[in-house]
Amino acid sequence: MALLDVQGLTTVVSGYTILNNLSFNIEANELRVLLGPNGAGKTTLISLITGQFKPTSGKVLFAGQDITGKSPDDIFLAGISRKFQVPNMYETLSVYDNVMISLRTERKVFKYLLKRVTPEENDRIWEILEFMELAAKANDPADMLSHGERQWLELAMLVASKPKLLLLDEPTTGMTTEGKRRTAELIRRIARHHTVLLVEHDMAVVRQIAKKVTVMHQGQILAEGPLEEVVENETVQAVYLGKGGQH
Amino acid sequence: MTLTLRTARESDRKVRRGRLLPAWALLLGALAVALIGTFPYYGGTDSYVLLLIGKFLCFAIFALSIDLIWGFTGILSLGQAVYFGMGAYFVALSLKINYALEHPTRYGNKFPDFMEWNGLTELPTFMKPLIYTPVAVLCAVAIPTFLAFIFGVITFKRHIYGVYCAVITLAEALILQEFIVEYQGYTGGFNGITDYSNYVGAPFLWFMLAVSVAFLLITRALTHSRIGTVLKAIRDNDVRAEFMGYNSANYRIFVFCVSAFMAAAAGAMYAAWVGIVSYLDAGPVFSVEGVIWTAVGGRATLIGPFIGAFLVRGLEFLLSGSWFADYWQLFMGILFIAVVLWIPDGLVGTIAGWLRRRKRGTIEQIRQEQDQLAHDRQHDWDPAGAPRAGEETV
Repeated sequence: MALLDVQGLTTVVSGYTILNNLSFNIEANELRVLLGPNGAGKTTLISLITGQFKPTSGKVLFAGQDITGKSPDDIFLAGISRKFQVPNMYETLSVYDNVMISLRTERKVFKYLLKRVTPEENDRIWEILEFMELAAKANDPADMLSHGERQWLELAMLVASKPKLLLLDEPTTGMTTEGKRRTAELIRRIARHHTVLLVEHDMAVVRQIAKKVTVMHQGQILAEGPLEEVVENETVQAVYLGKGGQH
Repeated sequence: MTLTLRTARESDRKVRRGRLLPAWALLLGALAVALIGTFPYYGGTDSYVLLLIGKFLCFAIFALSIDLIWGFTGILSLGQAVYFGMGAYFVALSLKINYALEHPTRYGNKFPDFMEWNGLTELPTFMKPLIYTPVAVLCAVAIPTFLAFIFGVITFKRHIYGVYCAVITLAEALILQEFIVEYQGYTGGFNGITDYSNYVGAPFLWFMLAVSVAFLLITRALTHSRIGTVLKAIRDNDVRAEFMGYNSANYRIFVFCVSAFMAAAAGAMYAAWVGIVSYLDAGPVFSVEGVIWTAVGGRATLIGPFIGAFLVRGLEFLLSGSWFADYWQLFMGILFIAVVLWIPDGLVGTIAGWLRRRKRGTIEQIRQEQDQLAHDRQHDWDPAGAPRAGEETV
């Protein structure tokens, strides 16, 4: 059974159909890349899966459980962690604290009240920070990080949250070419142990990590399959890749 | 699952975090407690200054309760006086009822005189439990806390935050004030409740000092702990926190209730200490004053509200004899604007920041260093075969 199963998702916002009867699924331990031109509905799809918006119709099943229309915190607890397009973290907290409060633990207020960081948790935080090469800045407030480092910090937070499914919405936005390559490498490593759905625009990044891709266009799935096949697909070339790589 | 790329030396793994109670804070705190606690011995037990000090302590706790929600969780309440006022009214009513039992009114009735003036013939039944002091104290802290809970459920559960929340709290204060004035038979109306035996004196001063210290320690423990980090996270970015599984509404409701409890306790002690409570103690102006004390002292500093309350109220007292007193409200407004414009971190925050900069260099210097580091690293990381810009065509 698929880990994430999206069935006939339709969203209509003030008369515009953003997603049109969209269905697709992701198997466990898969790294899937979601492609599509601007306005195809990629971010909307992620927002619907994570509970930011509610669909007009359709269902989202996660690990066999219906999560349609649940709140973002409940969907997180079910096992889906989301990376936003713009780095999104707690600005005044230290890098360490950002990762610390992202660890997957009990989230209820009164159970959290007397919680302390255990030695195991502390080790885990440092392990993640070292993996993301942020250990040297662990004690700096997050707003002192560079743009690229912020993207990595958010990735670190997501890894700390031990998700069953990671949704990454353009994690390389605004990075230099080198930064993008490094990020792609990090994502490839993260994907060894996680199921990842990656929304990405940059073809260099996609080529570096993708095996299977799904192409969206105007709120529908246009094509799905291995990267080499999909880029050969004429419809895909016409709507998304354009001529000579203009996108 | 292992992610380790390289094994770092354990010594690299050091979390820099302030102590729960730094030595200097303990020392200064002990000094302040000793100074205030011994005042009845060197200042006399019936001096006006003693009354003021007790009042200021209540105001300081009130400001601390604002700091907890505003500074640490980002909830700006312009109606915090609602909880202070309710706490004060319950205690004042209780004291007044008990006073009337021993001091009958002019017509020989054994119930509060303001009720008699308003045509009541006996103590309303629902007020009878207030005769017992423990019941009154319980009501004074529990009912405002419960009201804060209801308020939190109504607003935070519906994702009403920020300015809208501030406006609703302001309305809350206006409603309570109006209610007190309107139902003067039960509340004393414009005149408030006065003429009862209050507790001014050394023992009650020590009690208030103990409560102040306890609240300071509790808020420090709360904000310094792991849940405090979550509260600050919700203040910084509640969307991220929600997508990380935190039900931010529940955390806000929790901290709002703790804050209301402290404000109510401050109000209860205030009524017992000064011996007069009026509708102004539950109104928006007093609420805003609390916000100003917090801003002047320093948000999210805990000790800032104490300093702010003592400083601003102390200044008001010192200047009360001069021509300046007429322009006090105007001065408060200007002070608030000045603080927001020039020292947004408040006195404590600004001084702490200044000390930190002396130790670690200015933010600009740190930023420059970081930029240089990032710049150098980009040069370091330039592997052969990495695609150049413009190369990634299909």
